[in-house]
Amino acid sequence: MIKLAGVSHRYNGSAALVDVSLEVAAGEKVVLLGANGTGKSTLLKILDGLIRPDRGLYTYKGEAIDPRRLRDPRLNRRFRAEVALLFQNPDAMLFNPTVYDEIAFGPRQLGLPDVDDRVRRWAERMRLTPQLERLPFSLSGGEKQKLALAALLAVGPRLLLLDEPAAALDPRSTGWLIDFLAELSITVITTTHNLSLAPELGSRALVLGEDHRLIHDGPIEDFLADQEKLLAANLVHSHRHRHGELEHRHFHTHDWE
Amino acid sequence: MKREHALLVLYLAAVIVTTVVHDPLSLGAGLVGLLLLAGRKAARLLARCLRVILVFNLAVSLGYLVLAHVHGFSPWETLLLINLRVLVLTLMSFLFIARVNLFRALDFSPTLTWLLGLAYSQALGFQRVHADFRLALSSRSIVRPGLRDRYRSSAAAAAWFMDKALATARESAHALRARGFFGD
Repeated sequence: MIKLAGVSHRYNGSAALVDVSLEVAAGEKVVLLGANGTGKSTLLKILDGLIRPDRGLYTYKGEAIDPRRLRDPRLNRRFRAEVALLFQNPDAMLFNPTVYDEIAFGPRQLGLPDVDDRVRRWAERMRLTPQLERLPFSLSGGEKQKLALAALLAVGPRLLLLDEPAAALDPRSTGWLIDFLAELSITVITTTHNLSLAPELGSRALVLGEDHRLIHDGPIEDFLADQEKLLAANLVHSHRHRHGELEHRHFHTHDWE
Repeated sequence: MKREHALLVLYLAAVIVTTVVHDPLSLGAGLVGLLLLAGRKAARLLARCLRVILVFNLAVSLGYLVLAHVHGFSPWETLLLINLRVLVLTLMSFLFIARVNLFRALDFSPTLTWLLGLAYSQALGFQRVHADFRLALSSRSIVRPGLRDRYRSSAAAAAWFMDKALATARESAHALRARGFFGD
């Protein structure tokens, strides 16, 4: 479904991604791991056709994708109806006057006959029905995240790209999100730097190192058992632990609240 | 005197001179001098300046044209003067910012450094978020976004910026106060 071949990208001379090659098959649930600033969001934006990589090729279902090629209205329509990106900051995605219009935005563009049904179904699944007439700007952070997700899913995408979807969620909402994503039968790529959450989001891990290269592509359990890679990815740390009189240090993470 | 302080004084003097000179030829010569100073980046810098001042200069020029038409005098020399002056001042400021570390240039005043820090951090943050708003609209647009969608996206971005500007300013002020600013 997705193929990246030797993709590199720089921002103002600073590397964001270096020589990344990978393939993702339809239906896979993939977790994209990496410390802050390793290029996770850049990679998702390339996969969503928003950024043209400086080097390398990205193909979706065999078709090369980048912002220039997406100027073709037919390709843009086909691609955007199938690929959806949830931004880390959901505010950036919400601009319609009501929650209803926000969910209806995509289906209306596609000219679908069942816009109202889709809006009500996704609002119900996201527990947003009481908010349908409210201004999206006035919702809480968690509600905005759910609204942005509902707006994307109402279109019926085949590939869902999620950029740190649990970052702004409280523990209860995070639990809800894990269950919700597990029920989806489409391809999902989720970024996170939360090691405890990662195994719940997918079975395959793609890990970006601090040198912006892909340092692991395989089962998530293998990565979590590989201390050398965990250190290279800067996803674990060590410090002194005191247990009464006993003091020791070991590698660990504090990310599961 | 540090290099940055000397350049700041030079820049401020040049701004005053540009403001009081009323000869288009002298301003034109100044413009050529600045472009030579910019070197290989001159064309890109000039294009950037023209983009930045376009709306302001157009509005002022059109207003002046209407005024000249109503009162029956020739507007061309004044229009040339105004547009050249704005272009020279903008180009000069861009060159100054590109070549001088503003934090070092203003380090004689904690208050000015604080104001600069506030403006700089907000500008960088907003630049990133503005890019996200633009990309999010592209990402969600299955068909080319119409004027209404662009307007709504811009309005949402403006509302977000207003909201965050207040929160960020408050946060930055607290952070700088904690580091001992406001003492001058």
